[in-house]
Amino acid sequence: MSFFSKSPWILHYDASSCNGCDIEVLACLTPLYDLERFGVVNTGNPKHADILLITGSVNERNIDIIRNLYRQMPDPKVVVAVGACACSGGIFARAYNIQGGIDKVLPVDVYVPGCAARPESIIDGVVQGIGALEQKRRKSA
Amino acid sequence: MKRTIVPFGPQHPVLAEPLVLDLVLEDEKVIDAIPTIGYIHRGLEAMVDRVEYTEMGFVVERICGICSFMHGMGYCLALESIMSVEVPDRARWLRIIWAEISRIQSHLLWLGLGADAFGFENLFMHCWRMREEILDIFEKTTGGRIIHSVNRIGGVKRDISDSELIAIVARLDGLGKAFEATARVFANDPSIRHRMSGVGVLSMADARAVDAVGPMARASGVRMDTRLAGQNLYDQIEFEPVLETAGDCLARVVVRMREVRQSIDLIHQMVDKMPKGEGLPLENKPRGNPSGETFTRLEQPRGEVVYYVKANGTKYLERFRARTPTFANIPAMIKLVKGCDLADVPNIILTIDPCISCTER
Amino acid sequence: MDRQGFLARVGEYHTNGWRLAIINATTVPPVDAAEPGIFEISWGFAKDLEFETIREQVTTADEVPSVSDFFGAAFLYENEMRELFGLNVTGIGLDLGGQLYKTSVKIPFSHAAVKARLAATAAATAAASGKKA
Repeated sequence: MSFFSKSPWILHYDASSCNGCDIEVLACLTPLYDLERFGVVNTGNPKHADILLITGSVNERNIDIIRNLYRQMPDPKVVVAVGACACSGGIFARAYNIQGGIDKVLPVDVYVPGCAARPESIIDGVVQGIGALEQKRRKSA
Repeated sequence: MKRTIVPFGPQHPVLAEPLVLDLVLEDEKVIDAIPTIGYIHRGLEAMVDRVEYTEMGFVVERICGICSFMHGMGYCLALESIMSVEVPDRARWLRIIWAEISRIQSHLLWLGLGADAFGFENLFMHCWRMREEILDIFEKTTGGRIIHSVNRIGGVKRDISDSELIAIVARLDGLGKAFEATARVFANDPSIRHRMSGVGVLSMADARAVDAVGPMARASGVRMDTRLAGQNLYDQIEFEPVLETAGDCLARVVVRMREVRQSIDLIHQMVDKMPKGEGLPLENKPRGNPSGETFTRLEQPRGEVVYYVKANGTKYLERFRARTPTFANIPAMIKLVKGCDLADVPNIILTIDPCISCTER
Repeated sequence: MDRQGFLARVGEYHTNGWRLAIINATTVPPVDAAEPGIFEISWGFAKDLEFETIREQVTTADEVPSVSDFFGAAFLYENEMRELFGLNVTGIGLDLGGQLYKTSVKIPFSHAAVKARLAATAAATAAASGKKA
């Protein structure tokens, strides 16, 4: 991946995370890690976003929200599941209100491990997500 | 006048976390706000039926990634009181040093998010740059940036060497100096004053009436801080809670800024007072299974937390309950939102320093 | 429970300047008893550094009066008790109509739900020790 043809925008949604991964996602955007050097911008609008960055797992109430956010994003789009909870339910997999990882509802392209996921791995996950986005774009072209 | 209902959340640019408020508006004025939560409800309190009490501490730490250290400490304190375990001195001091470091972390994080909410992105970046220094200290001493898992029932898992402690204090002093430049902006910048001063005023009487806790109550002049109870060695150092009287958004910012400075000072005192030396005992392992119950209170960065633990002599606790500070501050938030302008809603919500994952567990 | 006496005691805490620190319900074992099972509710009050509780044991058939008239902040605890424990709390200041959490397991702290979780844990433990042997 020598260059990116576009600057991918990120939509971050906290499914049922403990905040740990969320603040690490935010920390990625701040001076020390500076994810924006890859042209990545954090947006609040799903219709502007290329990459959906989800932390936490699926529960009864947020399942429709997750589907809804994904539906509103324009194609091609990529889902990055950040942290153990988003990957599999993590430590909360056995809690009564947790249904499992994000792949219960959405096609996940990149899994980022960790509890909480470290900024380095989140950046790596996003960069891999950019790669997946490029591939999808070429396929659809 | 015609009423309009505007939903706020669950996915909102200002809040990283999902909170839903149905705002009932008349023109630009908010008349009523009805909260809906449950987007982060995991049901972790019920995990006591599935997870042994020795491991439950790791679940409790993950109630919230911002005060994870304090949650782990609170759980261990509760179990220690039920099992009558004596925690070694050095471990007790190390715990409150880490606790105050995590208070600085939380306040810097919040000051950044607050700045972001009123559109001052530069200030957000500065606060979070300083916060990274704290995370460095955490990573060096506990091995984790966010989730630390150093608390054990009966003590702590790791020591911080005396020389390392001195280095940490020096580093915090440096951070304190850098912080002053940012604090000046918060206190004096006209655009910040315009957005915060006189907005969302909670009078002292109201703060008492809605049972507000933590910086929220202290910004309205209520002298309330569980550290005053003198548990956990706070009686051995000089401590007086930070109070402001204006009760507006700016006062809540100022309280947290002053608490950053205060925590640095407290850590100075703690490092001076604690027993020194290598290889001091850090842990007294408990024996058997717990039996009994307790209410444990602790002052987290956002305010008082209450844990209830009931054990019945088996490996599985009968009940674990955490009443977190945000849970107690939501009534105050709803009170403040009523009657404000729609454009001020994000500021007001942010200044209670909401932690939704704490609230819903 | 004695409704009048209870509300009088709560009112006394309120008049004397205590604040409501917590309302907590606990599912009281044995959980395999025939319904209605017993629940214990603690109302925790704090004043400066002191902490006191009022305790009551109830079943889902009993009516638990809300303390919202004295402590406005009680509504969150009370909605939660109704939704998670299935308790019949009446007169809540801000009644969210069972829409506070919306859990996939209905009434997750009912005697039946706790019993099911404990049984699942016992089965998992037995299976794990079976594998080892």
